[in-house]
Amino acid sequence: MKFWTRREFGRLTGAALLTALNQPKARGQAKARVVVIGGGIGGATVARYLAVSATAIEVTLVEPRQSYTTCFFSNLYLAGLRPFKSLSHGYEALAKQYGITVIHESAEAIHPAAKTVALNNGSKLSYDRLVVAPGIAFRDRALRGYDEAAMEIMPHAWNAGPQTSLLRQQLESMEDGGLFVIVVPPNPFRCPPAPYERASLIASYFQRSKPKAKILILDSKDSFNAQDLFQDAWNRHYPGMIEWLPAQFTGGVTAIDAKTRSVITEGATFKAAVANVIPAQMAGRLVQQAGLANQSGWCPVDPVTFESALQPGVHLVGDAIIGGDMPKSAFCANSQAKACAFAIAADLTGSARFPAHLFNTCYTYLAPDDAFSNAISFKPVDGKLKSVISFVSKVEESSEVRRQAARAAEGWYDAFTHDVFG
Amino acid sequence: MRPVARSAIATGLVLLVSQSGAAAGADQGAQLAATCASCHRLDGGGTGIPSIIRLGEERLTNALLAYRASESPNHIMHAIALSLSDEEIASVARYVAAQGK
Repeated sequence: MKFWTRREFGRLTGAALLTALNQPKARGQAKARVVVIGGGIGGATVARYLAVSATAIEVTLVEPRQSYTTCFFSNLYLAGLRPFKSLSHGYEALAKQYGITVIHESAEAIHPAAKTVALNNGSKLSYDRLVVAPGIAFRDRALRGYDEAAMEIMPHAWNAGPQTSLLRQQLESMEDGGLFVIVVPPNPFRCPPAPYERASLIASYFQRSKPKAKILILDSKDSFNAQDLFQDAWNRHYPGMIEWLPAQFTGGVTAIDAKTRSVITEGATFKAAVANVIPAQMAGRLVQQAGLANQSGWCPVDPVTFESALQPGVHLVGDAIIGGDMPKSAFCANSQAKACAFAIAADLTGSARFPAHLFNTCYTYLAPDDAFSNAISFKPVDGKLKSVISFVSKVEESSEVRRQAARAAEGWYDAFTHDVFG
Repeated sequence: MRPVARSAIATGLVLLVSQSGAAAGADQGAQLAATCASCHRLDGGGTGIPSIIRLGEERLTNALLAYRASESPNHIMHAIALSLSDEEIASVARYVAAQGK
């Protein structure tokens, strides 16, 4: 890419300057350019579906990492039931099979008025439409004493990667009889059932390897999603091993003391052998700087096109958005990304528009051979994404039905990651 | 291989890619099938979740109508099918059946 020095730019006048600024139109057949920032589930899906649905669009995906490690299914790795490598997915197929330009740099700044993105290598990308899928960031000072140094002692493991391996190592080296504490953040956070799935699967690991260990869940809330299904399973599979304390019992977690590996609540201090502290969340840092998030820290969007309610020409998908009932899950990100890609393709190429279908489907493990599922469909109603149909597994289901769900979950992971990464 | 033949093959590949690309954008069935692809591999691979390609249009249509009518045996497919109109079921069945050929 060419960079203008001030002197070179100054020499351009009149027609030459116009031509330089209007390059795509001047070339006549130039393709529309869509830049996608973030190669997680939402970003990779948008890029892939734009590339297959509209060959007249040039798609660039900006993602600093060479591969993506899925947060979903990382609880199976933490329980020793899946190799770490199986969670990792590269971008080669998106580049080679789908012709997407993948740039392994991080986006430093977005300039919506100039329609450019600045990368950390100093280069600049111009776009006709921008899609931002930044995922989550952790709120600063949400929990006293929980800083970056503390994360290396009491990992969050809520962005999959080195944090996840660190937590696994700590669990493996924990002595039998140790206390494992999970701190659950306030709503909204990424993947609502995941802290409780994590407790369930780690309990299955303790049962195999450290049967005297205990798990304590310190919640910021007084109830949680699918609570009846989890508590039934904890009684059946791991009697006496998992204790869940709602905020009304503890007064809520107020601070962390990494030196003593302690979690401090209003009423008591809990000293852990291993602690998994999941902090309060907000949309990824980039959108906070770019004026794409509101006071809530999340990004409001149009529920049909996923265009930002704050900056025209910029779309957002995945965990970073708010505006209705869709939970922050990989499945929702993938579903939103498809609707967003088809809406952008229709805008830029004039292709036909059809009503979007938005879903969340989720398989949750209670034990290695016991999983439940839910399915929700969403529709835009009065500018918000409303849940219109919702089904979830029932407590009284047979163990055979649950075994089938656990097998289906494996198949889902394979199909889903193929859908996203090619 | 002679250069002429090689370039003919290359052109053929480009045409194939652009035709499938155009079809995917223009077709309602393709957009609906994107939802199927979140759980079912449309390349014929996969385990644990039944393959839906090579079933044929009629079987796919009937399966979706049956899933729409009842929560049993699968509440995920029930939720998906309930959100689809008759016309949408017809167009997604047509598109998915064509992928298996």
